[in-house]
Amino acid sequence: MRRYLLKRLGAIIITLWMLATIVFMLVNVLPGDVGRRVLGPTAKLEDVRAYNAKLGTDKPLIEQYFRSIKNLFTFDFGDSFQSGGPVMDLILPSLGRSAKLALLAFIITIPISIAAGIFAARRQDKLADRVVVNAGLASSSVPEFVTASVLLAVFAVNWKVGKVYANVPSGTSLFGQLEYLLLPAMAMVISYFGYIARMTRAGVITALHADYTRTATLKGLDSGQVMRKHVLRNALAPTITVISVQIGYLFGGIIGVEKVFNYAGLGTLMLNAVGKKDIPVLQTTVLIVGMIYMVSTLLADLLIAFLNPRVRLDGGS
Amino acid sequence: MSEIDPALNSGNAASSSAAAGANERKLARKETWRLIRRRPSFIIGMTIALIWVVCALFGNLLAPFDPLNFRGDLNSSPTWSHPFGTDKGGRDVLSRVIAGARDVLKIAPIAAILGVIGGVILGMFMGYLRGWFDSVASRIVESFLSLPVVLLGLLAVTTLGNSNVVVIGVVATLFTPVVARTVRSAVLAESELDYVESAKLRGESTPFIMFREILPNVSGPIVVELTVRIGYAVFTVATLSFLGAGPPPPSPDWGSQVSDNYNSIVSGYWWSTFFPAMAIASLVIAVNLIADAVQSVVESS
Repeated sequence: MRRYLLKRLGAIIITLWMLATIVFMLVNVLPGDVGRRVLGPTAKLEDVRAYNAKLGTDKPLIEQYFRSIKNLFTFDFGDSFQSGGPVMDLILPSLGRSAKLALLAFIITIPISIAAGIFAARRQDKLADRVVVNAGLASSSVPEFVTASVLLAVFAVNWKVGKVYANVPSGTSLFGQLEYLLLPAMAMVISYFGYIARMTRAGVITALHADYTRTATLKGLDSGQVMRKHVLRNALAPTITVISVQIGYLFGGIIGVEKVFNYAGLGTLMLNAVGKKDIPVLQTTVLIVGMIYMVSTLLADLLIAFLNPRVRLDGGS
Repeated sequence: MSEIDPALNSGNAASSSAAAGANERKLARKETWRLIRRRPSFIIGMTIALIWVVCALFGNLLAPFDPLNFRGDLNSSPTWSHPFGTDKGGRDVLSRVIAGARDVLKIAPIAAILGVIGGVILGMFMGYLRGWFDSVASRIVESFLSLPVVLLGLLAVTTLGNSNVVVIGVVATLFTPVVARTVRSAVLAESELDYVESAKLRGESTPFIMFREILPNVSGPIVVELTVRIGYAVFTVATLSFLGAGPPPPSPDWGSQVSDNYNSIVSGYWWSTFFPAMAIASLVIAVNLIADAVQSVVESS
């Protein structure tokens, strides 16, 4: 187990370095003046010079590159152009608000979609199964901002259920916050339901047809026990993986949801940064989200190893 | 690997004559295509997708009003003359939805195709050459998978400029490693087979073995990957254009339209957002239905 963990941590450090390199390259991959390209051909020369000085793009490439790698380890990503203060001071509160919205979405999605996946698997190829599979395919293929704007029009505006603006006034009770966050969270629930339900369904179907399930049934266990102890334990590994991957990807979709509901999370911060040409904020957000993805996939792999000893023993050898 | 078409493999692996193998492969491919066409999800998906392709090609002829310059009453609700209503600029929403198919249908397939070409080339080399090249490339591929496409797209249009080329470049670059991973595992399994060994003994060159011998036999998973990637590309391009990394406001592009009008929903003008949003939804669902049909036929045959 320890060797497995060390191996994974080593891989994470390399991935992090790659990630920082790619983010660095996105700013410097094209030849020419970065400030001029970002500010446009009509910007004044002194503005371009000042911008390059602020961003550090007036220094040699090697020096810039080493600084961006060093930032990764000191966790000091420089100052935001909008606020003048450290980038992390802007990102952390926004990240907190996005995480709250995402958490609510996952608390709703995970039980519903796992239940739907199991339900569909036990009725494989029957009508109920087809409905779950096709509804899942449709709902997860539609972009989050589309679902969000339809929910906004139908629920918040037409039926007056939920709020048009999702920002929670300070001092609202935990239950009161639900009224603000439920609609944007539902937009994400609809998007992630399909993946998780389909993955659970596939895992359960495989496990239902496996030899160990037949053995368990033949040795006289009742179906509830077979389901809990034999089918689900084996079927949930791919589901856990897909959930962990969703945690990384949800930050792509949450930007659109936040824009539709005017929610002051990480997405709104990024969109403001795009408008203000605040590259340090954009770069750092990409890095942080990449890190969140890595940590969540690592945790998922550990959970799978915990559930299935074969994985952790193989990984260690 | 389960996703390789066994009918395709056995055809080539069993016969020593290349001509007979190619012939059998052609038959197998015809049969696969026939099975795909019979799937209801394929028929539904293809019908919707073709409607949008027609709109993209002939949008300006089909639109009842000029999508850009027509000026009617502002925010009028759907009527017989304007079935989808008019937007805050008095423009006919139906005409704009028809004309708006063009941008996304131009950008998304190009990005997906470029990503698949890149992924096939990279994946072929990784799976066939193995060794240090595969190890290094695998690490790089892994780290690309942790990159959020939409976030990186926003960073790229800020630093590199907001243009179709940048959007296509970002989407294609981020799709390449995903495709490479699929192709790599298919090629790994394939290069164990006898026909590859016999091609080596015949003294064929490495590029010949990779692209003339192995490539036709991994075409199944590649076609599946292409259809799936087109779906993701439509999804990503629409999202990016909603977030401002698309054609600027007067453009009828669907994502830009939603972005331009969603603030009017609060005032009760839902139609100027709803119809372009539904257009996006119908196109992505259609492409995913096609991808689903292709995938289930290729993987089960």
